[in-house]
Amino acid sequence: MLPMRPELLKGHLDALLLAVLEPGPQHGYAVIEALRTSSDGALDLPTGTVYPALHRMERAGLIASDWQTVNGRRRRTYHLTPSGHAALTEQRAVWDQFSTAVTTILGRRAWPATV
Amino acid sequence: MAGDRLTNTASTPAEARIDAYLGELTHLLRGPRRRRAQILAELRDGLDHTIAERSRHGSTEDEAVNSAISHFGTPQAVAGAFGDELATAYARHTIAWYIATGPLIGVWWLLLLQPQPWRTGPLALLVAIPVLPLIAIAIATAAGTFAATGRLIRWLPEASPHRALTATIAIATLTLISDVTVVGLYLSSTAVRPLAILAISASLTRIAGSLVTLRHATLMRHTIRPRTPEPADARRHHARR
Repeated sequence: MLPMRPELLKGHLDALLLAVLEPGPQHGYAVIEALRTSSDGALDLPTGTVYPALHRMERAGLIASDWQTVNGRRRRTYHLTPSGHAALTEQRAVWDQFSTAVTTILGRRAWPATV
Repeated sequence: MAGDRLTNTASTPAEARIDAYLGELTHLLRGPRRRRAQILAELRDGLDHTIAERSRHGSTEDEAVNSAISHFGTPQAVAGAFGDELATAYARHTIAWYIATGPLIGVWWLLLLQPQPWRTGPLALLVAIPVLPLIAIAIATAAGTFAATGRLIRWLPEASPHRALTATIAIATLTLISDVTVVGLYLSSTAVRPLAILAISASLTRIAGSLVTLRHATLMRHTIRPRTPEPADARRHHARR
């Protein structure tokens, strides 16, 4: 699978990072690896994209971090806050609507009938 | 924060190369010291983790280090990527300092220049302390910038790092003018009382702090690219989120 350019993810990176952190706390590089492995290599994002985004999300109160010492090195792990969980639920709904609309137009499919 | 040190004594060539990489990055990062130390500690952990992973998959130590550094990017690229967050952190850190020192210094000048403002009324207070409108503008700018760079960005339009630094420069300038004016007014109108020594010393200290802030914030603003303004529709969408 072709890797995607980070700018293509603009507007959706926060949701992706929230989703990666949903199962439990992870350190920064594990977040990058989780994005890569769960997307089959398509989302191989550079460090310079993911770490600053995590810091910005912490500033926004969507995630929080803790420092631990592992093998004599300090390690920062991130976890979702209640606001982060709420934002993820909301962004999933937004994504569903957005992806349906884009798929309809790009794939020239019929818009799903609303009940 | 021992773990945040960059130049740990390297025991292997690989560690020496990581130290050199992070050492170069140290010189390129600009912002609050604690934030820089945290970024460097986090990157070191990430690099160590990547090298260990690559080695487990059969790479030699040299190949693992090359691959990890290549994946993280050049020190210039990494420093550039963290530039926005560090600039915002610097602006918030500096504005918090002004918010904390404002009442501490202001109360001395109030006691000196207009000790009983509730008796004389707002007009007399303004005549005694003519910089009050400047202080009000500085407080409003500080509150607005703090709100638009913190947790409220989930609901408010986020202030760009460039704008946060501009606000910091404005607050430092207004504070500098206010401090110089009240010190000058007091020294030109009356004999110095013991209480005034405290107020003047505090204002002189803050004048020095404001000059340092102006220099740092201006330099940092030159390194931050202003963001392209978002379309109005996008701004409304962010505001609703």
